[in-house]
Amino acid sequence: MMNTEMHHKIETPKEKQNRHKAMETVKVLHALKEAKNPITTMEYFYQRFEDVYCHQKSLHDDKLKVGTMCIQIPSEIIYALDAVPIRLCNGFYTDDEIGSDLLPQKACPLVKATVGHFASGNFSDKPHFVYSPTTCDQKTKAGATIEGFGYEVIDVDFPRVKESEISREYFRRSIREFTLDLEKKTGKRLTKKKLRETISKIGYAQGLYHKLCAYRKEKDVPISGNDMFLVTNAFFFDRIDSWIHAVEELLEECEKRKENHVSINARVSPRIVYTGSPPIFPNYKIPMLIEQSDAVIVADETCSSNRMFNDRVAVDEWFVNDMLDSMADKYLKACTCPIFTKNDDRIRRIIDLVKTYSADGVVYQAFAGCTVYELEQRSVLEAMEKAGIPILYLESDYSPSQGGQLSTRVEAFIESLKMKKRKQGK
Amino acid sequence: MQKIKKMINNMNLQKVRFIIQLFSFILFVYGGYFAIDLGSKLPIFACPYNGEAAGACYLIPLQHQLSMPAQILLGGAGIAVITGLLGFLFWFIFLNKAWCGYVCPFGTLQDWLTYLRKRMGIRYSTYSQNQFDKLSKIKYIFLVIVILFPLLMGVGLLGGEWSAAFCQMCPARIISPALSGDFSQWTIDFSSKTAMVLTALGMLFAGLFFAGSFVKKRFFCFFCPMSALHYIFSKFSIVQLRKEGSKCTRCGDCYAVCDMQIKDIADNVTDVNILRDDCILCLKCVAACPEDDALHFDILKFRAFSSTKEGFEKRMGIGRPKGIDDEH
Repeated sequence: MMNTEMHHKIETPKEKQNRHKAMETVKVLHALKEAKNPITTMEYFYQRFEDVYCHQKSLHDDKLKVGTMCIQIPSEIIYALDAVPIRLCNGFYTDDEIGSDLLPQKACPLVKATVGHFASGNFSDKPHFVYSPTTCDQKTKAGATIEGFGYEVIDVDFPRVKESEISREYFRRSIREFTLDLEKKTGKRLTKKKLRETISKIGYAQGLYHKLCAYRKEKDVPISGNDMFLVTNAFFFDRIDSWIHAVEELLEECEKRKENHVSINARVSPRIVYTGSPPIFPNYKIPMLIEQSDAVIVADETCSSNRMFNDRVAVDEWFVNDMLDSMADKYLKACTCPIFTKNDDRIRRIIDLVKTYSADGVVYQAFAGCTVYELEQRSVLEAMEKAGIPILYLESDYSPSQGGQLSTRVEAFIESLKMKKRKQGK
Repeated sequence: MQKIKKMINNMNLQKVRFIIQLFSFILFVYGGYFAIDLGSKLPIFACPYNGEAAGACYLIPLQHQLSMPAQILLGGAGIAVITGLLGFLFWFIFLNKAWCGYVCPFGTLQDWLTYLRKRMGIRYSTYSQNQFDKLSKIKYIFLVIVILFPLLMGVGLLGGEWSAAFCQMCPARIISPALSGDFSQWTIDFSSKTAMVLTALGMLFAGLFFAGSFVKKRFFCFFCPMSALHYIFSKFSIVQLRKEGSKCTRCGDCYAVCDMQIKDIADNVTDVNILRDDCILCLKCVAACPEDDALHFDILKFRAFSSTKEGFEKRMGIGRPKGIDDEH
């Protein structure tokens, strides 16, 4: 009797969602583990993603969880107030499908997936409230939709012109408002000592990322671009101390690999700089295609990875307001998000990455519906052409069905880079 | 060589600077006690009204020479002006504006007022962009006073009471002697209307100097005619502040630590020579830059001090956080 009941149990929507997400997770993790010369210390990250997305394991039971919708919310402040930031940008096709019913069909899959995730209410670590910086149109508007599902969403004013002095002052004030609000919500006061500590801690984490990237400048690249995306994506939700510990171990292994010349690439593998709409786990469609076609991603210019770690906070006098101002400047002025009016900074950054990581070409991916990246594509392509850097522009979404057409284009591009490399080699 | 370079790039700039400043302060305020005399063409506010200074500010001989009657000035005295200028340039070429950031006792005094404020837990003030743009011109007005007023005296348009008009207004004349116990300058000169106005302004500026430097970092440097004069010759110096725009992410760290609020240091990514007229070449920007080689201080073509990731982390006190291993 028991047995038949078990067999006939109807799956709830939540269970179905979890099962589908687990399937997406396993598929990607499996492919990563199968790659050439796997890194043992990456096991921590594979396990983390499996725990969270296959087993819905909560990592922050005891803490106040602060949801963030973009990278412009300073995690330093959240940590300093004894809460945990959880970045909610989502990469699951399962959630994208849920969100599709709630947003226009042509909306960005990342926003759809994020909204879908909220609509399902199915979190392993559910945020107590959400800060939403007014970055791109779709994220800005998504806030109101999410609020409709019963979440508290606080808009954080974010300017779209970054050159002007007004915008600097505006965002500095905005960050102060955010701090006041979070102080009220946590019932704690932001102290000089605490904030300095967390700035230093995030700074240390950033430093580890920079050290990891230094290995990618080598001829023998010890770590794949996909593994790097996994490491940086884990920072969205992981316990920061465990993350730091795991990356330290990863660094040790990379050092050993460097000494023994263990690499994931062949000498002729084209080296790629990846830019555009952010790859967020498990949507590694394009990065996987690239690395499965015998190229290696040596650097990226995306908000799910490089942009989170690249820029640091410097303060002259360590008063709370000085720290807040310096942070505001960093999160605004150094940001290369395409939502800004002009964006020569992004172009300069890509060119600099190509140079410092001796890359052979750039892959620029935009989600269909991610208007700002689609719009900026032309200017970036022009600039790359001018600089003599080969670039491939791709449009993709979260659906698993698109593979064939994309892989043909990626393979052709990489093959052409390889040919060029061989010619130059001779 | 690599090791020395690394050591320099990792240095605690604040400490090094403090020591150099302390040493120069003693030299240029009390050097007279040790019978040191470095001449009167110094590109700093080492005020000779203070009898114990080990040298004198160039603005004094400059004003005196320019105030000679026109015929003499165009004749033999012209040579004196030129040799004076060469003397000034001789000093200036070695250090450029680092005279301001490391040697000028008047600058150091302001930094000490800043330390005092910091100790008291009071936050510094800044100018808005608008105020900055307007106030930034004042130093050129003072420079015009330094150069034009003596010339007008020379052709007889201004009387003798305008002699060294800038010095009469200069707060260094009032404050520097006081540092060696001479308070005789703390007066208003009633001998003529002009002198009265000028010395009253001097007293006012001296008062403003203390109040201003307490709330605003390097308050006076912003208005200093010497700084304006420096800027005119800054390209000829063997030391330069340079920037590699391609490496800059415009994160604003350099701007955040800049005592002079120079925006270009962060925002301008095209100029290689990034020294601006307000710069005091304190090199705090280089020390606060987290990008390898984006900002560097060059002596001739040699990179004497470069921004590095490692140096940045050291100076910002970024170390391994406590409690990392407790998790495991």
